Amino acid sequence: MFIKIENLYKKFGHVVAVDHVNLEIKQGEIITLLGPSGCGKTTTLRCIAGLEKPEEGDVIIDGKPMFSQGFVPPSQRGIGMVFQNYAIWPHLRVFDNVAYGLKLQNLPRTVIHEKVEEALTAVGLSGMEKRYPGQLSGGQQQRVALARALVRHPKVLLLDEPLSNLDAKLRERMRFEIKSLVRRLHITAVYVTHDQAEAMVISDRIAVMETGKIVQLGVPEDIYKKPANRFVADFIGTTNFIAGSLVEVQLDKGKAYLQTDFGRILCTLADSFQVPSDSTVQASIRPEEIEIIPSATQKENVFRATIAHRAYLGNFLYIFVTIDNTLLRVQVPYNLSQKEGEEIIIYLNPEKCMILP
Amino acid sequence: MQRGNLLISTVLWAVVALFIVYPLSFLLVESLKNAETQQYGLQNYIDFFKDPYYLKTFVNTLVLSLLVLLTTTLFGLPLAYMISRYRLKGKVIFTALILLPIVLPAYAGAFSLIILFGKMGVINLLLMDLGLVAKPINFLYGVHGLVFVQSIHLLPFIVLSLSAGFTNIDPSLEEASEVEGASGIKRFFTITLPLATPNYLAGAVLVFLWPFTDWLTPLIFGQTDYLPSISYINIAYHFTDMHRKYMGIVSVVVSAVICVSIFLLSKAWVERKKYTSLSKGTTLEGRIIYPPILIQIGSYLYMLFIAVLVLLIPVVLGLSAFSRRWVLQPFPTYWTLENFKLIFIETPGLLKNSLLFSGTALLFGIAFGLPAAYLITRTHTTGKEALDFIITLMLAFPGIALGVSYLLAFWEGIPLATHWIIMPLSLFVRRLPYFLRMAHASYLQLDISLEEAAEVSGASKLYTFFTISLPLLLKGLFVGVVMFFIMAFQEISTAIFLYRGGWETLPIGIYLNWHRGMEFGIAGAMAFFMIVIIFVLLLIVAKIGGGILGAAWGSSGGRY
Ligand SMILES: Nc1ncnc2c1ncn2[C@@H]1O[C@H](COP(=O)(O)OP(=O)(O)OP(=O)(O)O)[C@@H](O)[C@H]1O
Ligand SMILES: [Mg+2]
Repeated sequence: MFIKIENLYKKFGHVVAVDHVNLEIKQGEIITLLGPSGCGKTTTLRCIAGLEKPEEGDVIIDGKPMFSQGFVPPSQRGIGMVFQNYAIWPHLRVFDNVAYGLKLQNLPRTVIHEKVEEALTAVGLSGMEKRYPGQLSGGQQQRVALARALVRHPKVLLLDEPLSNLDAKLRERMRFEIKSLVRRLHITAVYVTHDQAEAMVISDRIAVMETGKIVQLGVPEDIYKKPANRFVADFIGTTNFIAGSLVEVQLDKGKAYLQTDFGRILCTLADSFQVPSDSTVQASIRPEEIEIIPSATQKENVFRATIAHRAYLGNFLYIFVTIDNTLLRVQVPYNLSQKEGEEIIIYLNPEKCMILP
Repeated sequence: MQRGNLLISTVLWAVVALFIVYPLSFLLVESLKNAETQQYGLQNYIDFFKDPYYLKTFVNTLVLSLLVLLTTTLFGLPLAYMISRYRLKGKVIFTALILLPIVLPAYAGAFSLIILFGKMGVINLLLMDLGLVAKPINFLYGVHGLVFVQSIHLLPFIVLSLSAGFTNIDPSLEEASEVEGASGIKRFFTITLPLATPNYLAGAVLVFLWPFTDWLTPLIFGQTDYLPSISYINIAYHFTDMHRKYMGIVSVVVSAVICVSIFLLSKAWVERKKYTSLSKGTTLEGRIIYPPILIQIGSYLYMLFIAVLVLLIPVVLGLSAFSRRWVLQPFPTYWTLENFKLIFIETPGLLKNSLLFSGTALLFGIAFGLPAAYLITRTHTTGKEALDFIITLMLAFPGIALGVSYLLAFWEGIPLATHWIIMPLSLFVRRLPYFLRMAHASYLQLDISLEEAAEVSGASKLYTFFTISLPLLLKGLFVGVVMFFIMAFQEISTAIFLYRGGWETLPIGIYLNWHRGMEFGIAGAMAFFMIVIIFVLLLIVAKIGGGILGAAWGSSGGRY
């Protein structure tokens, strides 16, 4: 493991910002910390950088203990970092901002020039070397921060919402740019973002955080398809929650029947699921996993529903359907023929209908 | 409403024209007059710069300025860093303490240092008693003494401005440099210090200008070869030798021009360098470091050292005020209230004058400062920048220059100088920036939407001002009022030229007592009495509005 975080615990006064986080990151891997505002992403990143001293826990980078057994200051950790607020030095020109770390390594001038040029080109800022940060737009400043973090080809790259201020086109290009650079240079990267689509594209694995804890760690597909709990299912993508009570639990098969307002559904139990004492639970099924079938061929999990509302979203259609009084959101091809008010038959695939803790 | 603003603007400009521009133009014109031929020309200036003596005083003053700036910077830099960065207990009290010299009159410091470090002062006597030295060491009488006393006096300006600069730096800027591999010292010199420079400069310029305006301290230390001192002597004592008198006026103008140019240069430089704050979404209030124990102890010792130096002034003056014949003895032996009995024969008149003049000046200050602050912060009247500029300039303008120009301008023509009103008028003009800054800062902190809400509800501008703005501004204004009062109360440079028999103020009384026959005990007792008054006022300020004081003077990033 290249980066190893063990039992990391950090609080500010009474606020627990990072709550016993464990994370192991392989060399060359891109890990994304994903979660809502205030869940402790930045603080975790700062603990890795050494900008924050945790109350407990170990940080190990490349086999060398950084914290707990002694403390390696940030300047000695050999990391590159993009700060959430850029932290571009306003008194230095773009060139000097990027060259700062290289100059500290006492490299020859020509080498510095070459490397800075390369980094600025990568972020699309060549020609702006002479400008002061005050003369740049927010997005340009962010790219200076990115160039500065990349220019030394650090072993570890920490990125705190590095693309938050760019337009959609540029953001897409930069994601690709960052990813290929990280791959090419075998950099290990920890990436922080709010944006789940961005997390899906850029990461090898995603760590979803909630109030200081990592609630799920996995490859993007697993996070999406097998959310560990309701919070993850809700935060990543959109989903339908169906409330009910468990009536028949088959723990050996990992299945259970759920009695809902509109009938019985067969569902799959999530891995970590434990039956609660009052046996009321919620099942989650994603809009695109609800199937529309021509006629009721199966016996189970098939329901008649009425289309309450159609929303056109370009290459597909969202329809809101009601079964009795339950409202479900379904994603269907844009050429669906039924109109609002008409009836359809839907099938809730038991494999996709997950009962989550 | 535009017409109302125009009216305010016109009235304010009329006041500025009559009490600032008009008298100063007299000074300029007078400096061009030839003593013998009564004709106008540049001859005086040519004479001045050809005369090796005046050139020497000029160079002396310049060297003194540089030395004082160097000393205060060397001592102030670590202090400012400790105050703004280290988490240390008792920092607040200490910060308040080192503010003290700003409001204390410079002569108070000079007196107490003479008692302590003079030829027959405490330290020398002790050293001789112990047999360590045979002859007294000259601690004070010379450029080193001036550097010593002026540095103590001016240190707060450097510390305040630098620590405001350090505090204003977004912590992530330093963290970024840390991540890039820069360790402590390197980071300090490449990131921290450059970013604090605009703030530093704002304080440094006031320090640098000081020796060009302080005529009294050199005289107390028996030094005359400094520009302001020689100006004072030439103008005040050479009624017959017209050539010397005109040299005095020329040197006043030269100092004023130097002060104003340096002030403007630094302002322009600061404007250019003032980095637009780039960061977004940071909530932290500057970086705070928990220093290791050794550094902590070192910091405490250093802070203690500075605090003792600063506190020496009031303590020594107090001791001398309550003792008699504290001469040729290292410590006072005979305690008495004699000095106070003596000063209370003379003082009530002085005190009455001081209060009357400062109080009247304050009324002028409020009447002018409030509308001026309103005009500058809340309207788009043309020329408001110029107004702000001219008033702010008075901070850099030597008091002597103002005194002389008032004497020249208001003697004939508009004979204000024969009436006591000239005293509060000159104080008002000289100290106005102190009130305006504060009013300005409180206005900036007042959210404009609060006023807009009142106007939307149907209130007129004037009604809004009295029902919404004024009540909300009150705290800041009050601090401004007290600061103004303190600074007017201890003013001497302008008053010394304008007072006539019966108009003596407390500072003039102190000066005269010292000057007459080295009545040290009495001068010291008066100075102590004065310090007590100032200190009480300062406590009020600290209690009511420490924060607003910082906003107006600390973090204004070059708008001193
Ligand atoms: N220096 C600090 N002092 C006090 N509390 C802090 C400090 N830094 C962070 N916190 C608190 O710790 C918690 C986690 O903050 P953190 O900045 O890590 O969140 P985040 O996940 O990065 O949020 P965002 O997406 O909004 O940037 C928050 O509740 C925050 O208020
Ligand atoms: Mg954050």
